Amino acid sequence: MRETLLRAAGYLLKRLGSVCLVLFGISSITFLVTRVLGNPVYLLVGHQQSPEIVNNLIQRMGLDRPLYQQYFRYMWSLLHGDLGISRYTFRPVLDDIALRLPATLELVLFAMVLVILLGIPLGILAAVRRGSWWDHAVQAVSQLGASVPNFWLGLLLIYFLFFLVPLFPPPLGRLDDPGQAPATVTGLLLLDSLWAATFHTFSSALRHLVLPGVTLAAGAVPATINITRDSLVQILASDFIRTPRAYGVEKRTVYFRYALKNALVPVTTVLAMTTGFLMSGTVLVETVYSWPGLGLYAVTAMDHFDYEPIIAVVLISALFYAAAYLVADVLHFIIDPRFRVR
Amino acid sequence: MGHSGGQTGVARRQRWRGLFLSPPAIILAVFVAAALFAPFLTPYDPVTPFLAERLQPPSFLHWFGTDSLGMDVFTRVLYATRIDLSVAVASVLLGIIIGAPVGALAGYARGWLDDVLMRLTEIMQAFPQILFAMALFAAVGSSIWHLILILAFFNVPVYLRMVRSSALPLRESEFVLAARCAGHSTLSLVIKHILPNTLVPIFSQFSLSTAYAIQMVAGLSFIGLGVHIPEAEWGSMINLGAGYVIFGKWWPAFFPGMAAFVASYALHGLSRRWKEFLVT
Repeated sequence: MRETLLRAAGYLLKRLGSVCLVLFGISSITFLVTRVLGNPVYLLVGHQQSPEIVNNLIQRMGLDRPLYQQYFRYMWSLLHGDLGISRYTFRPVLDDIALRLPATLELVLFAMVLVILLGIPLGILAAVRRGSWWDHAVQAVSQLGASVPNFWLGLLLIYFLFFLVPLFPPPLGRLDDPGQAPATVTGLLLLDSLWAATFHTFSSALRHLVLPGVTLAAGAVPATINITRDSLVQILASDFIRTPRAYGVEKRTVYFRYALKNALVPVTTVLAMTTGFLMSGTVLVETVYSWPGLGLYAVTAMDHFDYEPIIAVVLISALFYAAAYLVADVLHFIIDPRFRVR
Repeated sequence: MGHSGGQTGVARRQRWRGLFLSPPAIILAVFVAAALFAPFLTPYDPVTPFLAERLQPPSFLHWFGTDSLGMDVFTRVLYATRIDLSVAVASVLLGIIIGAPVGALAGYARGWLDDVLMRLTEIMQAFPQILFAMALFAAVGSSIWHLILILAFFNVPVYLRMVRSSALPLRESEFVLAARCAGHSTLSLVIKHILPNTLVPIFSQFSLSTAYAIQMVAGLSFIGLGVHIPEAEWGSMINLGAGYVIFGKWWPAFFPGMAAFVASYALHGLSRRWKEFLVT
């Protein structure tokens, strides 16, 4: 028992180390991109300003110093949570992000639930009934889903389910009336309104969430279906499934006891990848639905030639992605005993 | 490859026909034809506004209607095929040209080079891509050339890893050992003997990557990056039409999106046919 715990701790530390490495790499690359490929001064003031203004700014921003000094300063302020100041909200970027993060998280989590509820069962269905009509139908749907441009699907949903048949509210924000927002506990409106027991607000929040959530999930479901199906097909053909089947153990027992558990390892990896995909997808989906989250923040910042919020959103998204990978690794450790031996 | 040797001429011809006369291949041929012959297929100009005819619904004169600047949507969808297909194909090709040789070298040489490259590609694939593209565009300015370079950058790790994993088992194979005994340098060995043997999976991935690139081009142009209004491109056309959808004017945004959808659906289908072609 003690040995297992030690091994678990060692494994976790190793994974944590590689997560840190990835985050370090990403922040270094964003530094290189902004300071070496581009010039932050021109990003701020454009190319038309007089040389005095530009030189003045270069000095004030410390851009006349050697690159390695700039790099240390950049990393130092990142480690202290200093992400700069937005030029169009006139607030620290970190505060802006804290304000908008819950909206994006609620959208991503909702989409994630949809991905799990749709992708995994459909993948299982296709694998278990391989070669059947069901299998072909599921694969056709997943190929359709993989080919649809997400944001365009969002516009179609708005046309059909808001304009033609007004089942859902207009694509503007998270609530019918911003004044009805519940007191902030988690920042997720669905949970907060339940907590405050205001069911009217809850239904309003849910109705606003459905279309963006479906749009965002549509892009990620096909990958989940395919990987669930392919890994389960491979497992169902292996000896440890065929032998108990040949001995007459019931189909259901074999599938749920042996097959599914083994198929879950690749699926958790896919779900971790999906987190990154969804975080990135929010940019387009939030633009279509005017959803006040990080993606819309980055797009609006871009329209104002304000690059610090964009960098910050990139870093925050990478952080979530790395965290999702870490969770997947921990789950592997729990699900699959083979990981514990390594 | 080698396994078609035992087939008769008729069977082989049928296999090729199954690939090139399949629905996805024909659809893609139509798209290429639209790109090439756009000026002969429509009487209108793709980028001249004609404000007197704003937001006309689809009719006999304007098959796909007109957009908010009075430009003919059908004409613009045709012309947009040029930019979308060429940007997507160019960026994927560039990604292969850079990624495949490096991947073959990494798979053959292994050691520290391989380790470093694997970590690097892991980091590159960990990036939220649309967001990272926004940061890059903010730094270097938005243009079509930058769009191609950025999409190529996203494709490099895909092909690097793919070619590396098919090169790994080749390292110990007899023909490689023989070539090494014959005195080939590492570089010529990788290029002449390893790389050609890793090309098969590249082809089926190629059409998948192109489909993905088409969606990325449209997505980035939709938020105003890469291709700018009024230039005819599917994503920027959707951007131009998006604001009118909630008022029931669906056509300026619908048709360009449909084109992107059908093109990438056909590319997905082609990739599947190609895989089936290889195993039969």
